[in-house]
Amino acid sequence: MSTPLQAFPAPSRLVGAEHVVMAGAALALVVLVALPLAFLVGGSLTGDDGLTLAHFRDAVTSRLHVQALRNSLVLGAATAVLSVTVGLPLAWAVSRTDVPAKRFIHLTAVVSYLTPPFLTAIAFVNLFSPRAGLVNRFVRDVLGMPALTFDVFSMAGLILVTVPHTFPFVYLLAASALESVDASMEESAQILGAGRWRTALAVTGPLVAPAVLSGALVAFVNAIALFGSQAIVGLPGRVFTLPTRIYALFDYPPQYGLASALSLIFVALTVAALYLQRRYLARRSYVTLGGKGSRPRLVELGSARWGVLAFCVAVFVVAVAAPYLTLLAVSVSRSWGLGFWQNLTLQHYRFVLLEYDVTRRAIVNSLILASGTATLAVLIGSLVGWLDLRTALRGRKLLDYASLVPLGLPGIVVAVALIQFWLRVPLPIYGTLLIILLAYTGRFIPLGVRSANAAFRQIDPSLEETARVTGAGWLRTFRSVTLPLARPGLFAGWLLVFVPALQELSASVLLFSSGSITLAVAVYNLYETGALGPVAALAIVTMLIITGAIVLATRLGRGVAVPSAERAEVAQ
Amino acid sequence: MAGIGIEHVTKRFGGVTAVSDLSLEIGDREFVTLLGPSGCGKTTLLRLIAGFMAPDAGVIRVGSTALSTPSGVVPPERRGMGMVFQNYAVWPHKTVYQNVAFGLEVRRVGRAETQTRVARVLEQVNLAGLERRYPSQLSGGQQQRVALARSLVVEPGILLLDEPLSNLDAKLRERMRWELKELQRRTGITFVYVTHDQSEAMALSDRIAVMHAGAIMQVGAPRAVYARPVNKVVADFMGLVNLISGRVVRAGADDGVVAVGGEHPIGAPVPPGAVSGQTVQVAIRPENLRLVPASAADGAGSVPGRVVEVTFLGNLVDCHVTLDDGTRLRIQVDPGQTPEVGQRVGIRFDGRKSSVFG
Ligand SMILES: Nc1ncnc2c1ncn2[C@@H]1O[C@H](COP(=O)(O)OP(=O)(O)O)[C@@H](O)[C@H]1O
Ligand SMILES: [Mg+2]
Repeated sequence: MSTPLQAFPAPSRLVGAEHVVMAGAALALVVLVALPLAFLVGGSLTGDDGLTLAHFRDAVTSRLHVQALRNSLVLGAATAVLSVTVGLPLAWAVSRTDVPAKRFIHLTAVVSYLTPPFLTAIAFVNLFSPRAGLVNRFVRDVLGMPALTFDVFSMAGLILVTVPHTFPFVYLLAASALESVDASMEESAQILGAGRWRTALAVTGPLVAPAVLSGALVAFVNAIALFGSQAIVGLPGRVFTLPTRIYALFDYPPQYGLASALSLIFVALTVAALYLQRRYLARRSYVTLGGKGSRPRLVELGSARWGVLAFCVAVFVVAVAAPYLTLLAVSVSRSWGLGFWQNLTLQHYRFVLLEYDVTRRAIVNSLILASGTATLAVLIGSLVGWLDLRTALRGRKLLDYASLVPLGLPGIVVAVALIQFWLRVPLPIYGTLLIILLAYTGRFIPLGVRSANAAFRQIDPSLEETARVTGAGWLRTFRSVTLPLARPGLFAGWLLVFVPALQELSASVLLFSSGSITLAVAVYNLYETGALGPVAALAIVTMLIITGAIVLATRLGRGVAVPSAERAEVAQ
Repeated sequence: MAGIGIEHVTKRFGGVTAVSDLSLEIGDREFVTLLGPSGCGKTTLLRLIAGFMAPDAGVIRVGSTALSTPSGVVPPERRGMGMVFQNYAVWPHKTVYQNVAFGLEVRRVGRAETQTRVARVLEQVNLAGLERRYPSQLSGGQQQRVALARSLVVEPGILLLDEPLSNLDAKLRERMRWELKELQRRTGITFVYVTHDQSEAMALSDRIAVMHAGAIMQVGAPRAVYARPVNKVVADFMGLVNLISGRVVRAGADDGVVAVGGEHPIGAPVPPGAVSGQTVQVAIRPENLRLVPASAADGAGSVPGRVVEVTFLGNLVDCHVTLDDGTRLRIQVDPGQTPEVGQRVGIRFDGRKSSVFG
């Protein structure tokens, strides 16, 4: 009989540190996620006289809310299908064919992804609003074919302005799956007599299907959560959806209970989709098999390559060129119409930059919020990641799972939960920047955790152990070995949070006050006043700030800010 | 009739010439092994035969039909060959049965016949009963057999195998070797087999083609290539060998003499063209050297030296001996005759079995 080898007992100092870190991370998650959620559930079940299911009954019986639920489902499903229709061919073209201008195609997806969804919506309103839309006017007044006009204030319009922000999820996941299928998988089918199509159907298709389906589900989850486009394009056409319904419930007098119940139904929908995605991926994830083998040979498209390229260019035109050029044109036109270029002006820029005092406040607030959120999310992510990978503490896995919960929470739901919580806590943070910071941090914790986890995972523990063996203490080791090695990964994570936080609208729109207004809210409010020229100018300014911040941050951190498949999994 | 003719084939990747003006005839029903170090172009040659790429120069024929030329290639799916990949490439989303039946489906074989043929081939490779398993539920060896069965079930005239055993552990590798050989005998399929393991090549092949830097150095029966390597590269690659330098005393295939380890003459097959006094390399395998007592080292064919290292390997003992001029030799002896480190010994060369290179 031999006793199993015992590890050397850890120095007691380290045990202390572990527990402090654990407590800190747990506390952060409780305050940011658990308590607000608990109050959301509580609020949905409390009426004027105690416990009640009345709010849920209202939510599922009122025609208005059922219609909103149905619209959200239609929007999500149609968007998911179209995202595959657009994203999969692009992914295939880039990873498997000799189509020209691959970098351009990839950038199209990346830029679409980075563009704030509400900007696309505003741009398309300028092109396709029933009467004043430029394209509609052209079709009606110049071509004389009023039957061909397109009303953007409709479900079809809503889908049109949403897909540019969701197809990149499918594109990124499908491209990485297609690239990781080992060439020999397909070649085995070929040598057995299967032609190109047969091979695609019998081998490649099934192998990348989990990734494509997963991308479609993430597209679904994101599409239904985008408050901006649903408010800008949906409301005028009376296409109500869950986020806009919940938003409307905060009009005076606010109906907190019903909003909470509706929010929870929304969460259930989101979680169901994400659950399906996880389960499907877990059961049928093949793409990591093989791996070390060779890349498949590129399909030589011949003259068909120009057809494929034309498709990619069309996507670029709809998702990138049309929105940006439209906003640019509107922002410098005295009046928007077919002859807009005859009367150019910079007055809209002068207005939003010099006269409209909200702008400067919004810019400063958004920069503070985005950098604060990014820092906090990465910090908390590092704590959770470090505990998970470098310690054996009980409960660390639970912490890791708990930190992913916000994936299932649409932005507006986070806002409702925070309102429910902080209105009942005697701390006056409602209406301040702080509550928005808490909302953002809660929302983006999953990104921080994922990035930190990936960053730490790449560092072989033996590097740290070597430092410990040579006598460096725990803190010293962390500072001089772990942190420098993890820094590029952590910085990439910081940017991953910073960019979406800078353009956040769904949660901010319920939480802001005039003092804590953010960039996206400023654009949205200005849009509500109907001032199209200034809105376009502010939108362009917003985009410049986002671009400038990305460029600056990338320079400083020498990191790369391209979205990866990993990033694609996180809901807006 | 499935002989393969490879004529002056060249394949370049950018600046790298992976296969260089290579010619090789492979007979019908023959088991030919392409043997060489990693990166010498074996896989490239195999993929050229399969039709996955076009040669930059040369022709590949099967029977009398040219299948690959620089201007056109019959695609793999119309060659009717089989191929087993190094990583097996068993489809993870199909069961064992579905994997094996795929080739028959493509050929539109009927349901009943498919079932019998799949059952028969699974029997052959000892996988009967595992039809419904997914590859993730199989061991490496079993996956390897699925890959094999999948290629065999369509009864190809030619089977290409790219290091099919290299991912298996030593014991299994040994057994699969035997099974492959047996299979090839039974089916009469032409095997083109790629490996970097010379003992595998020796055990399996009718003929071995030793490759180096995209070219074939030597083709022949395993024994012949082992006993009579045409150059240092082949000698070095075909098992353990001592490469020592010597000086020609007399040229001649049968009565040549070379001096090694100072001025000790041994008989060796010196190429007739060599001139007396010329420096040459002598390649001699450990089994053609024998340790004798130091006192016997004066006689003809024996060279004195000193034991510097002794390693016990189980069934034999590996000894390193330095000759008086510093030449180091590796000799394998019976454990019963293990010498002491530092002991002076004599070494008897069976010089007729050595090879001499200029
Ligand atoms: N698809 C390819 N692209 C570029 N170089 C290649 C490619 N395939 C093989 N090579 C190169 O050709 C040479 C021979 O490779 P390979 O045939 O795979 O060798 P082996 O199978 O003997 O290890 C190597 O130098 C390798 O780097
Ligand atoms: Mg190889």
